[in-house]
Amino acid sequence: MRRVLVVGFVLVSMLLVFGGFGYAGGVIKIGALYNLTGEMSSIDAPALNGVKLAAKEVNEKGGVLGKKIRIIAIDTKTNQKECATAARQLLSEGVVAGIGYGDTTYVLAAAPLFQKKHVPFITSGATLPELPKMIGNYMFLVPFGDNVQAYAMADFLYKDLHVRRVIIWTNKATDYTLALSKYFKERFTKLTGKKSILLEDFFQTGDKDYSAQIARVKALKPQPDALFISSIPDDIGIIVKQVREAGIKQPIAGGDGYDTPLLVKVPGPKLANDIYYTTHQAWDNPDPVVQNFIKNYKRMFGHEPENAFAALGYDALMLVVRAIKRAGSDNPAAIRDALAKEKGYHGVAGTISYKNGSRVPQKAVAIMKVEQGKIKFVKMVMPNM
Amino acid sequence: MSFLSIGYILQQVANGFILGSIYSLVAIGFSMIFSIIGLINFSHGDILMLGAFSALAFITALHGPIWVVFGMVGVVGFLIGIAIERVAFRPIRSAPQVTGFITSLAISSLIENFGILVLTAQPRSFNIPDYLNGLLNVGAVSFRVIDAIIVALSTTIVISLYMYTKYTRMGMAMRATAQNIDASRLMGINVNRVIMIAFAIGSSLAAIAGLMWGAKFGQISPLMGFLPGLKAFVAAVIGGIRDIRGAVLGGYVLGFSEVLFVGLLPPDMSGYRDAFVFTLLIVILLIKPEGMLGREEEVIK
Amino acid sequence: MIAGIYTLVILGGISYTMERTLNDYHLTVVEFLGIYVILAVSLALTNSFTGLFSLGHPAFMAIGAYISAILTFPPIRKAIMMPALPHFLANMQLPFCLAVIIGGVIAALSAFIIGFPVLRLRGHYLAVATIGFMIIVQVLITNMNSLTRGPLGINGIYPYTDIWWVYIWVVVTVYTVWRVLNSRFGRAMLAIREDEIAAESLGISLTYFKLFPLVLGAFFAGVAGGLWAHLVTAITPSSFSLPLAFLLVVMLVIGGKSITGAIIGALLIGIVSELLRPLEMATQMYGLTQIVTAIGLLAILIKKPGGIAGSKEINLVSLYKSLKVLR
Repeated sequence: MRRVLVVGFVLVSMLLVFGGFGYAGGVIKIGALYNLTGEMSSIDAPALNGVKLAAKEVNEKGGVLGKKIRIIAIDTKTNQKECATAARQLLSEGVVAGIGYGDTTYVLAAAPLFQKKHVPFITSGATLPELPKMIGNYMFLVPFGDNVQAYAMADFLYKDLHVRRVIIWTNKATDYTLALSKYFKERFTKLTGKKSILLEDFFQTGDKDYSAQIARVKALKPQPDALFISSIPDDIGIIVKQVREAGIKQPIAGGDGYDTPLLVKVPGPKLANDIYYTTHQAWDNPDPVVQNFIKNYKRMFGHEPENAFAALGYDALMLVVRAIKRAGSDNPAAIRDALAKEKGYHGVAGTISYKNGSRVPQKAVAIMKVEQGKIKFVKMVMPNM
Repeated sequence: MSFLSIGYILQQVANGFILGSIYSLVAIGFSMIFSIIGLINFSHGDILMLGAFSALAFITALHGPIWVVFGMVGVVGFLIGIAIERVAFRPIRSAPQVTGFITSLAISSLIENFGILVLTAQPRSFNIPDYLNGLLNVGAVSFRVIDAIIVALSTTIVISLYMYTKYTRMGMAMRATAQNIDASRLMGINVNRVIMIAFAIGSSLAAIAGLMWGAKFGQISPLMGFLPGLKAFVAAVIGGIRDIRGAVLGGYVLGFSEVLFVGLLPPDMSGYRDAFVFTLLIVILLIKPEGMLGREEEVIK
Repeated sequence: MIAGIYTLVILGGISYTMERTLNDYHLTVVEFLGIYVILAVSLALTNSFTGLFSLGHPAFMAIGAYISAILTFPPIRKAIMMPALPHFLANMQLPFCLAVIIGGVIAALSAFIIGFPVLRLRGHYLAVATIGFMIIVQVLITNMNSLTRGPLGINGIYPYTDIWWVYIWVVVTVYTVWRVLNSRFGRAMLAIREDEIAAESLGISLTYFKLFPLVLGAFFAGVAGGLWAHLVTAITPSSFSLPLAFLLVVMLVIGGKSITGAIIGALLIGIVSELLRPLEMATQMYGLTQIVTAIGLLAILIKKPGGIAGSKEINLVSLYKSLKVLR
């Protein structure tokens, strides 16, 4: 019995020593903070999958600077307290960069800690354009800001669809949806004047019944030319279903919150029609970067990417890896400086450059159309800011 | 306000009625369990979720008629109820009430997180055969076939359940146990069996409500149960938590007030909907603390 | 008295050592544990000692957190972020300590206003009413954009909370609750818990002695909210919601119906979730923490329904005496 114990002890300590040193010599630790349980998990879990896929691909090609990437992922349970502790845990483990979150709320709890320790934090999915200003020079965005996509949609509706009168529905419970509507309104009234917004109405995350809002639209005279509905992925399918079932035929328009299979699957192909939205990339884009991503994602996780956040998570890690390569070092400050100089990373979700000291990428916006349940790519737009 | 036409109001009433039918099914199960062993069962909503997912599985696997699916989901809920009662609630029955409440929270967390692990947190679309989505028009009011089925089925279940508790031996045993568990035991009622059946029926109704929920809104997810569970609790309390009729009434009141608050408040104020609903709730409790159909001695000093 | 001073010194020494030796992460974990202790012990006033089943604690925390955050916020940034603040608030910047106390006082005041009508309700009805109150507070915060920045919340709050503030408030909370329990207030509360009618017939004013623990508990919840806000540095309306209320009730139930129990429950819940995190990271099975916690909770409830400590308290005096005897 004692011998077994001794042998076991030796084995375990050897494992620890060699395993530990083996790692410490040849890995670069990158932290990933996502809400993998709780309300945000449907948005954040795919993003982490994207990060993992990118790390696997990098490591299969021999890593970076001769070292392997190791992702340390923590579930922050859709809870800001967990964000604040988990961020500190990552920093105490010596990560050289942090990636995370599809929503501003959680970035605001975690990113300042990275800023304080001078470790770059890259949000894969939060789209509030003021974030870098609020946090500091170590904060980067992978997606475009909400202003860009809202302007793009306003321009598109005005110029391409000749829309002159709209109504706006806004989810009042999330910052993303409020910001999106704010920027859309700003641009659209600039294009057409104040009276072009016939009605502003509101709902909340998780609402299931939109009959009251629908009735208010139907009662409008004159009728709007289009509906701008600012929603998160989990609600949009139900909204489209009910709007179309009620016989409202005008185009529905929105932001990257529409980039979810639910948009078509919940209303079904007959009702999912005449919908326009802005997003990061078209899934049917023949670009090999996109198609390889879809293929590899499917191989690793057994299903296609759930939404655009998967692609953004992938891009976030790739950006960091490129920065490490360019910097020739895994020193966090060096990574930050290299990241800030990123010019033209051709990613899954668009091409990313940080220009003029801005840490929100200037990216073209993809405009998509849904026609009889089929999602079609319309065009890439780069709105004048 | 031009949209406040008669047709609009009738339509809203119909919408409230459909929503209320689902709430009341959930609330009945809630109040059955509460009335017999004084347990606030917060995992009730998660049984609704399990019902919805098993319904999705049956629909995709079987392509059978919707009646069969309803029946099978009911059976699944029945069995889940028995299992949960057996494993978790029976061992703590002699403990104080708050222990039962915490136990139900633990079970709820268990089910939800297993759900996320196994099914991922992605919401899924819940598509029903086309004929169920067909639109019916009665005067100014329009609704879908499935809505009519929901209302009809829910009403049938409520009435037959009421008959069951009123006239069958088991039903009477249930009411007796709810009145006084010790006395019932002395009278030779198999209390364990009564409690098990109450759990089974309640959970079965929740599972059926889960199917209705999915069919009505077209989307389900592992976390979908929380809100209906909370609302069923509220509905049961509004109506008078010890009575099936109270739960039904509470369910409808809640359904109506939700739809009407959004419908009648100006858009700027609709963000305050939940504040209005809960203020109303507190006011109801203060005016008639025992719930609309409840008896007074329970609630205040 | 001597025992109390001993304890103060020992805890202070521990805090000092921790401040010197622990890294930022572990220190934060300890600070949150302290905040949990404040919350659990203050919630025990109503839930364990008076038999009032309140789920409204997060509402009081939210009030304390928002008030104190607004009060410590630099006026220059307030002008941009919260334009609708009344003039006197917009130009005011208070020291952290004062801001936290004011947050607590206003939370207590709101408890007084809501408690007056609602405390007539019993058992589950009270639970529903307090849930309702919490949701109302949450909705108000979400919708008063120009005061609270709506769903975005307030961020960039200065991280004043350190281990010493937590230490002071833990000591103040535990000491206050202990003194209350061993006074005529405490005995009246326990009497109400055991039998309301009997208590009332002995001349105990139900309104007064139910209101008192709720208001006092709300004060400490408000304080804890203030500490929380200045530790996390960002608060949103959803920071303080139902799951947190459940968590606090769970702490009380597994700990037991005593101050000792509340402290044990708070520490246990806080520590276990941190300990399980590496396991979750290693297995990549996210959600495992909640599942293990839930199963552990069920096991405790079945094996030890009265909680780990039951209604027993640690008697500090005899504890020290026995230690001396050992030496």
